[in-house]
Parts: sequence; C-alpha cells; structure tokens
Amino acid sequence: MDGAPLLIALLAVPFVAAVASLLVPSPRGVLALLFATGLAVAGLAGLAAWTVADHGPIFAAGSWLFLDALSAYNLLVLVVVYLSSTAYAFRYFADEHEAESWTRRVARQFGGLWAGALGAMVAVLLSNNLGILWVGIEATTVLTAFLICLHVTSVSLEAMWKYLLICSVGVGLAFMGTLLVAKSAVPLALDPAKTLLWTTLRDHADQLDPATARAGFLFLLVGYGTKAGLAPMHSWLPDAHSQAPAPVSALFSGFMLNAALYCLMRYLPIVEGACGHSGWAQGLMVTFGLVSILVAAAFILFQQDVKRLLAYSSVEHLGIVTLGLGLGGLGTFAALFHTANHSLAKTLAFFSAGRLGQSHGTHEISVLRGTLRSHPVWGAGLLGGLLALIGVAPFAPFMSELLVARAAVQTGSTWTLVLFLAGLGAVFVGALRYALGMAWGRAEREPLPERHNALDVVLVVVPLVTLLILGLWMPAPLEAALNQAALVIGGTR
Amino acid sequence: MSTSAELLAVAIVLTNLALLGSSRMGGLVRAMVVQGLAIGAFPVVAWAAGVSAWAVPFGLFAGAIKGLVFPWVLMRTLRRTGVSREVEPFVSCGMSLVIGLVAFGVAVWMGSRFSLDGMAYPTRLIVPVALFTAFVGLFLIVSRRKALTQAMGYLVFENGIYLFGVALVGELPFLVEFGILLDAYVALFVMGIATYQINREFHHIDTDRLSRLKG
Repeated sequence: MDGAPLLIALLAVPFVAAVASLLVPSPRGVLALLFATGLAVAGLAGLAAWTVADHGPIFAAGSWLFLDALSAYNLLVLVVVYLSSTAYAFRYFADEHEAESWTRRVARQFGGLWAGALGAMVAVLLSNNLGILWVGIEATTVLTAFLICLHVTSVSLEAMWKYLLICSVGVGLAFMGTLLVAKSAVPLALDPAKTLLWTTLRDHADQLDPATARAGFLFLLVGYGTKAGLAPMHSWLPDAHSQAPAPVSALFSGFMLNAALYCLMRYLPIVEGACGHSGWAQGLMVTFGLVSILVAAAFILFQQDVKRLLAYSSVEHLGIVTLGLGLGGLGTFAALFHTANHSLAKTLAFFSAGRLGQSHGTHEISVLRGTLRSHPVWGAGLLGGLLALIGVAPFAPFMSELLVARAAVQTGSTWTLVLFLAGLGAVFVGALRYALGMAWGRAEREPLPERHNALDVVLVVVPLVTLLILGLWMPAPLEAALNQAALVIGGTR
Repeated sequence: MSTSAELLAVAIVLTNLALLGSSRMGGLVRAMVVQGLAIGAFPVVAWAAGVSAWAVPFGLFAGAIKGLVFPWVLMRTLRRTGVSREVEPFVSCGMSLVIGLVAFGVAVWMGSRFSLDGMAYPTRLIVPVALFTAFVGLFLIVSRRKALTQAMGYLVFENGIYLFGVALVGELPFLVEFGILLDAYVALFVMGIATYQINREFHHIDTDRLSRLKG
C-alpha cells in the first residue's frame, strides 16, 4: 500500500484546523474542533504506523517526508498526549469560562496556536530533510510562546520572554550544527537537493568528514538540548511550565521536549557512523544525561510550587532518556520506552496539579494539602502521577529506569550507574515527601470542593491503569515497535 | 569580482561595530537595514563570480526580508512603545566596541582554521565575518536591557548564521531557506508583540527588571 497520501494528510489536517479555529464562533466549538482534529490525526497516524510496521518506511513529496519505525512510535506518543491534553482542556477552561477569563478571543488564539503547534510537531516527526526538521522545531518555539501567556500577567510575560529568547538562540545554534553536518558531506559531492536528507546522510555516514561532523554534533547537542530542557540549558523550563495553563504545560512536558530530543536521536547514528562508531557522540549524551538528572535532583529537593516541581522532574526524565540513548543497545530500547512512560505520567501529574491549583487558587505545595480527602479524583491523580514519576514499582517508569540501569551495568560503566542511582534516589526521597504531604497532610484552609464528572475520572484512571499494566507486562506489538525504533537509532552496528 | 565580495564583508563588519557602539534605537535599526541588504547581496555577487544563477532570487528575497521587512517591524514596535535609546546597558558602548574588536580577532583566527574545500563563495573573509556577526548578536542579547534591543540581537545572530550557511553549503533548497526566513519573521513578530505587551503591563521594557521567577 502506498502511504504517501497519508503523510500529506497528516501534515495538512492540523494546519487547516489552525486556520479554521479562528473562524469558529463559540469557545466550546474551538475545543470541539481541536479534539476532532486530534481524532483525525490519531486515525491517520494509526493507519500510517500500521503500514510502516507491515511494509517498512513510507516516503512522500520526493523523499522530503518519510515515516519509519522511530518516527511512527513518536507520532503515536504525540497523538496520545495531544488527545488527552485537548480533552482535559474542556474541563480546565470550563472553570475559567465561568470566571469570564476564557473569552472568545482567548479561545480562538488558543485554538490557532494549539493546532499550529501540533502541526509543527508532526512536521518535525515526518521530515526527512534536516533543514525542515529545524524549521519545525523553531516553529514550535514561536507558536507556543503565546500559549504560555494566554492569560497576560507580569510573571507569565516574564516566563514567555525568557522561553522565546533562550530557545530561539538555542535552536539557532542547532542550525549551525545542521550546517556543519551538511558541510561534512561536501566531500561526497551529493546532489544539493539531497544533501540534507536524513536517509542520504545515514547511508553515507561512514564517508562523512569526521571532524566537521563532530563539531556539528556539539552545536546540535547544545541547541536541541536547550529546547529539550537538558541541564545546564534548562533555565527557561521551570518558568514556562509553571506559568503556562495546565493543558499547555502538559503538552510541553509530554511531547514538545521529546520532539527536540527526537532530533538528536536522528543525528546520533549519522555522527556515530562518521566517527567510526567510536562512541564519542554517545559519551557526550551520557554526560549531558547525568548532569541533567543530578541538577534536577538538586532543585527538586527545594521546591515550593508543584508545577515547578513537575518541571524539574521533566529535566530529570529527559536526562534519563538522554542517558539511555548514550548507553546504546538495551539503553536505547529503555530510553524509547521511558519517553512514553514519562509522557503518560507527566501529563497526568500536570492535569491533576492544574485542577487542584484551580480549586485552591495557588500551586504552592504548602497550601495543597490533604487533597486525597478534599479532591478524591484529582488528588489521587497527583499522587499516582508523582509516585509513577519518582519510579515507584510496579509503575512502568520504574521498569524503564531499571532497564537503563541494566544497560549501564552491561556497558561496565560503574560511575555512570552510581551517579544515575544517586540522582534517582535523591529525587525519590525529595519528591516523596511532597507527594505524601499533598495527599494526606492537614489543610489549613478549606479549598473549593471538587466538581468532577466522568471525563475527569477517565483522564485519571486510564493513564494510571496503563502505567500499571505496562509496568507488569509488555505487549508484544509494543516490544516489536520499540525494538524496530531502537534499531533505527542504533544504526547498522 | 572578489573585491566586491570583500567590500560587502567589510560593510557587514562595520555595521556590527555600529550595533555595538550605538545606544540610539534609530541608529541600531539603520545599521540593521545596511546589514540585511549587504547579506542579501552576497549571493548576488557570488553569482557574478559564476555560482549557480538560482542564488540571485534567493539573495534578493533574503535581502528584502532582512533589510526592509525586519527593520520596518522594529520601527513600528519602537513607535508603539516610545523607547528611543538604550539607557545604561550592562556593558557600556565603548567597552562593547573593545570586546567586539577582540571577538573579531578570535573570529578571524577561527576562520583561518576552517577548511574551505568545496566552498562556493569567493572570499576567505566570509566565515570569520559570519562568526563575528553571530557573536555580536549573542553579545547584544546578554549585554542590553531593553527587550527590543535583545530582539535585534536575535536578528543579528540569525544574520550571522544565515551568512555561515551561505558560506558553508552555498545554496540550501528553496523550501528550507524559505522556512528559515519565515521562522525568523514570525519570531520577530512574536517578539514585537511581546515587547508591546511587556510595555503595557510594566510601563517599561527593561528585561533585567523582569525577575520574579526564580529557583
């Protein structure tokens, strides 16, 4: 089956929806349109992923667009995060609608940017051209900036400005890296139209100029690493995540960070191939991963705001994924598994924190206490999400972290293992303290009572049950998909 | 022929020094106009030297965006926020010039270590000038207070990277080049609106006073 029309449709649907949502008359209608867009993209993505699993990669638009096992897997994670965040937005903004801060103008702005951001992320995943890959990442930066300050306040503007400037410059550095990698292919005298194609560069990786490719990877790691929130380039992340409305924070942590890391996953086999599989690029990934885990652990110990806590936890988890990628082999498999686990657990935690914040009027950890009693649904969501995030067994993140640790043992790098476990231990102790207090502590003042409906229950129960099941049993199709995706990153070694 | 390319390179270096040494917003925007046009002219000059003719429309397009559209957006934002000068930058304009000269020396040294094999453009100056421009952009972002000056710094940084791309891989496919310019345009547009909103909310656009988010 020729899947080319599928890819074109996948790319077109979100952008059409972005324009259409500017024309929808009612705020609820905007959200309904966004959700319908998600369903359409989910259907197309499912069909495309199935085609890829059966018949191998799909190409379209003169090989500029393509979908292979790696991008198909990431696309499915994106679809899950987008659909659940959009469904959650119905509940989140319903309260604001009563407070009259969710006006038609705000709803349209949200709709256009939300669907546009989805389109940009889909473009990143479908692009075979490394230039378009970059354009997509930069587009997510500029499109999501105004989502942070959907409600204009002094702090949300501050967070937005920081995000915009730091990420634009970071992503600019990634472009220098892209150019250097393209330069490393000059000795091959390729057709200029094909120089930037990922498939071409991967096929000729061993003939690239190693010195230039290495220089390029340094820029790429710092550049895309900034957008992925790797320490020490993460300074924008806690501000943006804490100030953005909760659905936006969930999309940021659940997928936007992954999208930037996905770019590094694409470059890893090219640069490793150019360096003769010496492990140079992987070593850098290990270092950045460990630094992110340890820096995040240090900050998690001293947090007062639950959304900032979750933001630092994202730095930690993206660090774990980077570490896994750096270890290679089993680590790559574990890293990919961990991206899905983290996205599920983190969106759940942000959903819960957002709703609890709305009824308490603040995100201060010291105020959000005894939530399990006052808010049975979202209190349980926050507790479950946090427990999964800090790696409590038998939730799935525990399994993927265990696999990363095993990969570290296999590669025989004792120090990596020690630092990794020390970071995880610090996060566990630090965040468990907050999680228990928020669940069972004694509240000083009574918050607004919880008003939940079936949708709230579904949004809490489905991710929690999924995380539990994945922690205990891995379905064969998922294992096959992960193995195939890991093979793409592992190159031909 | 290669003299005209070198003249353009010198013009870009001079605009960088003007950007470092000027505190008047109007002066900064004028320097951006000259720099944008000079960068757009680079591929055109190279075409005269025998590089593929496709470079010409690209160059003209990029020059028009960088030299005319961007400064126009900047001027409009300037008028709406009523800011006319960068008062008390973190690093004074004189000191900025000294740092700029040192950076230029480093850029020339780095450029001399760069292999030019297979490069399309007829002057050795282009790589050092591109690196210098990117550095000046970064320096403006970290050393200036006003949101708008930081936005200009971002554009100068983009100019440097664009020039680097022109030097390194000659022509990029049209769609990629178009996407890059579009992104830069939207980024500037967003920064412009953000500056306006910051001004309305705070009655100033001094980013060092946006410091409530910590830890």
